[in-house]
Amino acid sequence: MTIDIPFIITCFFEIVTALPLTLVITVIPLIIGFGIGVVTALMRIYKVRFLHRIADFYVSFLRGTPVVLHVLIIYFALPLLIAKLSDQFGWGIDTASIPILVFVLTAFSLTAGAYMSEIIRSGILSVNQGQVEAAYAVGMSTRQALWRIVLPQAIGGILPNLCNLFIGFLHTSTFAFTVSQMELLGKANVVASVNLKFLEAFIAAALIYWGMTIIAERITAFLEKRVTAYNRGGIA
Amino acid sequence: MGKAFDPALIFEFLPKLLAYLPVTLFILVAALFFGLWLALLIALPRLYKVPVLSQLAAIYVSFIRGTPVLIQLFLVFYGLPAFLQLFHLDVSRANPLFFVIATYSLSSAAFFSETIRAAVNSVDRGQIEAAYAAGLTGRQAFVRIVLPQAGMIAFPNFANSVIGFLKDTSLAFSIGVMDMMGRGQTLISATAHALEVYIGLAIIYYLVVIVLEKGFVRAERRLQRHERKWASA
Repeated sequence: MTIDIPFIITCFFEIVTALPLTLVITVIPLIIGFGIGVVTALMRIYKVRFLHRIADFYVSFLRGTPVVLHVLIIYFALPLLIAKLSDQFGWGIDTASIPILVFVLTAFSLTAGAYMSEIIRSGILSVNQGQVEAAYAVGMSTRQALWRIVLPQAIGGILPNLCNLFIGFLHTSTFAFTVSQMELLGKANVVASVNLKFLEAFIAAALIYWGMTIIAERITAFLEKRVTAYNRGGIA
Repeated sequence: MGKAFDPALIFEFLPKLLAYLPVTLFILVAALFFGLWLALLIALPRLYKVPVLSQLAAIYVSFIRGTPVLIQLFLVFYGLPAFLQLFHLDVSRANPLFFVIATYSLSSAAFFSETIRAAVNSVDRGQIEAAYAAGLTGRQAFVRIVLPQAGMIAFPNFANSVIGFLKDTSLAFSIGVMDMMGRGQTLISATAHALEVYIGLAIIYYLVVIVLEKGFVRAERRLQRHERKWASA
């Protein structure tokens, strides 16, 4: 076996330049997904007429299909849809001018929304019902009780899940490569093909992902301690 | 090329894609089979705190959980032939299916070993003490007392991982395996109707996931039928 170890280091520094794009593809969908997740989770908890069925199907369908298909379907479907709407209303949008990144972010946001919805729902349901009753008793409206009492506690409880989702999406972002985005894996592939050293390039990429994952795990462990500080059992 | 999007084509593609469902399921089952045995091998040194081996196992698990499965797929695809060449085995012309199953076995082993470890650790310590008190050897206590109880605790996690891996098998096409996704790619090259193919695939994966979920719920209930319900007694 001939592994060119110095070349792994060269690859590492070349591939790491794609890290910002990978982080964009990871973080932006998670932020948008969090919004989608809160809305759909509330719809499902309060059983909003008709809408909660749509939310249920949305969550179950996106969690039941491979993410790589979401990327590909949005990549092919959204331009068609936009072109059709644009013709109808005369917006004059040329779908070829929309960067592919927009489709990738849309797909990942929808996926993140479905996974977030489940996590947030479990978080909200785990907050003690007495907390809500106490909030009502001091005269808060439902909205105030949700924002000031329930959600902060729910987020503290689901922090480990959110971290896992971040790591999951860091890894999922590699699927952007299937629609030729130059994120870490795309870059690794280019570096590999140019130098004809595939193994070295992918080892370097793997090391970057591994490092990122370990950093994310450390940060969560720290945050978890801070966020649940009010609620620690035991002595001291 | 006719209409840009023709929903009727989805139904035309469904049977053609379904014909390759067995390949997808074969990858899944083979990977789970090897993955579980490997997982036990990884979990045991960590449970019994065997020096060196347990640290190696921890690094292995951290690496697999820290890298995307697509990268693992490429690492095995390019790395395994180079590694086996050391032993004068030439697998560079082997069926890509072999590499896919190898990757998913290695990958699922790491995840399952964590599930097994957590489950074994959650079995009441008194159980193993009782086993020793009744004269069972360490091995008997583990196989007859701890493992069955741990299996029941691990089952829901295990079921979730299986569904996750079913979805991950859709990446096998990226190294040229003819599973459902691979067949989809050939249909796209032949008809240029990518969207219909992908929607068809999504429908199939969704249905398979629903069937698996229903099956797992039933299996779980059956597994837990011996659990005593203190609350309802």
